[in-house]
Amino acid sequence: MIPTSLNDIVALLMQLEVTDIGDLSVLQNALLILAFENRASTAEQPHVARAARLLGTIIDGSSKNTIADLDAVSAALDQALNSSTNATEPPPPPPRAAREKSRSKAPAKSGTKTPPKSCASEAPPIAGESLPHDTDVSLLRDFLTEAAEYIAASEVALLTLEANPREPEAVNTVFRAFHTVKGTAAFLGLAHIAEFAHEAESLLMRLRDRQIHYGPACADLALRSVDILKALLGAVEDALVGDGALLHPPGYHSLMIALDGYNPAVDFESQEDAPTINAAPRVARVESAAEATIRVRTDRLDRLINMVGELVIAQTMIAGDPYMANSLTPDLTRKVTHAGKIVRELQELSMSMRMVPMRATFQKLARVVRDTASKVGKTVQFTTDGEDVEIDRNLVDILADPLVHMVRNAVDHGIEPSDDRDRAGKSRTGSVRLSAYHSSGNVVVDLIDDGAGLQRDRIVSKAIEKGLIESDRGLTDNEVFNLIFAPGFSTAEKVTDISGRGVGLDVVRRNLEVIRGRLEITSTPGAGTTFSLRLPLTLAVTDGMLVRVGTERFVIPLTQIHMSFRPEPAMLSTVVGQGEMVLLRGALMPIVRLHRTFSVRGAIENPLAALLVIVGDGAQRTALMVDELLGQQQVVAKPLGDALGRIPGFSGGAILGDGCVGLILDVRETMSLTTPLLKLAS
Amino acid sequence: MSTALPQSSAAATRVAPSARAGKYLTFFLSGEEYGLEILKVSEIIGMQSITRVPRTPAFVRGVINLRGKVIPITDLRIKFGMDASIEEESCIIVVQLRDVQTGIVVDRVSEVVALAETDIADPPDFANGVQTDLLLGIGKAGGRVKLLLDIDKVLAAHEAVQLAESTSAHAA
Repeated sequence: MIPTSLNDIVALLMQLEVTDIGDLSVLQNALLILAFENRASTAEQPHVARAARLLGTIIDGSSKNTIADLDAVSAALDQALNSSTNATEPPPPPPRAAREKSRSKAPAKSGTKTPPKSCASEAPPIAGESLPHDTDVSLLRDFLTEAAEYIAASEVALLTLEANPREPEAVNTVFRAFHTVKGTAAFLGLAHIAEFAHEAESLLMRLRDRQIHYGPACADLALRSVDILKALLGAVEDALVGDGALLHPPGYHSLMIALDGYNPAVDFESQEDAPTINAAPRVARVESAAEATIRVRTDRLDRLINMVGELVIAQTMIAGDPYMANSLTPDLTRKVTHAGKIVRELQELSMSMRMVPMRATFQKLARVVRDTASKVGKTVQFTTDGEDVEIDRNLVDILADPLVHMVRNAVDHGIEPSDDRDRAGKSRTGSVRLSAYHSSGNVVVDLIDDGAGLQRDRIVSKAIEKGLIESDRGLTDNEVFNLIFAPGFSTAEKVTDISGRGVGLDVVRRNLEVIRGRLEITSTPGAGTTFSLRLPLTLAVTDGMLVRVGTERFVIPLTQIHMSFRPEPAMLSTVVGQGEMVLLRGALMPIVRLHRTFSVRGAIENPLAALLVIVGDGAQRTALMVDELLGQQQVVAKPLGDALGRIPGFSGGAILGDGCVGLILDVRETMSLTTPLLKLAS
Repeated sequence: MSTALPQSSAAATRVAPSARAGKYLTFFLSGEEYGLEILKVSEIIGMQSITRVPRTPAFVRGVINLRGKVIPITDLRIKFGMDASIEEESCIIVVQLRDVQTGIVVDRVSEVVALAETDIADPPDFANGVQTDLLLGIGKAGGRVKLLLDIDKVLAAHEAVQLAESTSAHAA
């Protein structure tokens, strides 16, 4: 007969033989049932779980000292018993289920608190606890990773619930998340996490069973719970690398009390006045089981990708070997080419493994919009577009911070207060839209708001005041707007604790520089602003055109080239004797003499004997002057080495077919290197 | 030699005496013999064609392909203001500093010597401001004097110059 109550179990423990595996198994089974099927109170659970685990090691023989471990088991059970007798409940500790029922039988009408939980009735410890001594670190790490995923899914679900309070799947998702975290945390001995998850779970259970409505206060509690859980997990991580001390995050106790005393009656009434903050992005339903995935350590993945990159280079060197060109055996050439095809496909596949969709970033931003909007008392609708657009994993991390800052800024300063919007004839709800798409070898992320727009004059006067510029003569709108990214710059009249201090956007610019991203800003006063982030798709095998200038060779990314030609005298003209231009099919473009920009000797100086390569986007086309085109080549872009830092004009180096390094031109930067000269001319 | 020297600020920044003993790879630059800590040497490779990188200081010769990785090459002779020319026996020593690899061009690689602390003396302070803070010390072995470079400082110092130059060029 399986003992069911804790007292029974302890009794059995006294009686059994240490060597009788059968008895021990029965005991362990009973403990497991007690711990995981909600029959132990939260105070007891971690101790019971621990005892079960220790018993497990004795049973399977992995225990190093059975006597000591058995002692530990009975000590744990003692603790469990003690914790339950300290509670304000009558002994023996009532099964969890019964207590739940008594809670839920007190519906909204009674509105008063149910008996306070044991943990709240004792004075909560001020200092934290520490990690259990026998923690299995790898189990703990796995737990942390999984819990993080659950939390992410919960957040999305909660935001969906705000827009659609009756969405059942969403509630289930959140409930499952807390329930699972509770169970595993208890198993690992993380008592406070288990307790906390339990409180949150109770609230969610009532929600799931439709006993309460998802009102604004409930929503707040739910989201705060997710935040606290994140913080708790963070504390565990810190404890793992630190000295094992676990601290309770701020807000932990107040939230526990709030969760306990949640009064749905009050919440329900206030629901009618609460502004509807619609922050749920237009997102496909959270997939519940979908794709089969596998976890891979990132350092292994990176090594794999590097090796594949080197394979591409090695293969190119074989294919480019002079012997191959002269070879009289077509068989050999065919085989090498075939190998090349396979290698390139391998390269594409490995690159794709590093790509992640923007979805996760967008979801994170949805939360930021919601929180910021409610903090500043505005109503904002957040929509997203292009979640499936993929970018390199490394880019995502660096991009996240700038986007958070920019979004916060848009809500805090961009969107006007509802009354102002009313007066201006706009809808009271502001709109912030995030859109991601591919465009000529770049990933573009647009942040569009329909707020007050940027005031060029105010920015100019502020910039002059701060000594950033002397006058705005000759500056395009984009250049003026970019001034807002200077450190310390802010035209905000009020500094809120969210923004206005002039710190956030500076971070944006610095982060963007790291990933060589470009930011274009367009704005219409009164109508709104668009921030357009252009990011190069890192690495990959780029198709490049190898060109020769004098004694040096450069690679120009093929996607940037429009065409190349040898100019005729009629096409050339000079401006003020300094800037050179070429006229092609009605378009006038400046000529950049690469040999001058890069101080190359021995280059052709007469444009009529040289080749002009047209590069650039849209209106900013330029003609680069080179000596000759050496041919198309697939190159693997490599960073130029940390010791050199960033060299303006080049985005990296490429290993050419003959093993030498060819510098890859960054078209935009090259153009800006020579613009000052042209500006003088214009 | 006992360390009864007054603690000038330059001396205070020197590496603690006990840390200087060890093995050094010695090489020649323009007739002078230098040494650097063998533990920092990754490999020695023969001279190969160096791709020039525009808009870098003169002592940055360019970059090379080291088994698929692009690493920069510094010419210490230019940095130290000596005559630069490719000798027949010129080669490249690849140095690993923290997680950065750089190459330096040298005229000729000499040997690996083990130097005890007693073999190493502090460089004298020349009055005319000769840059001696880039030296760990002066080693004596086999009757010859070897100038022991603090390679981290030598290559780091040039980074700072590097950054300053390239940012000013960028702002122009």
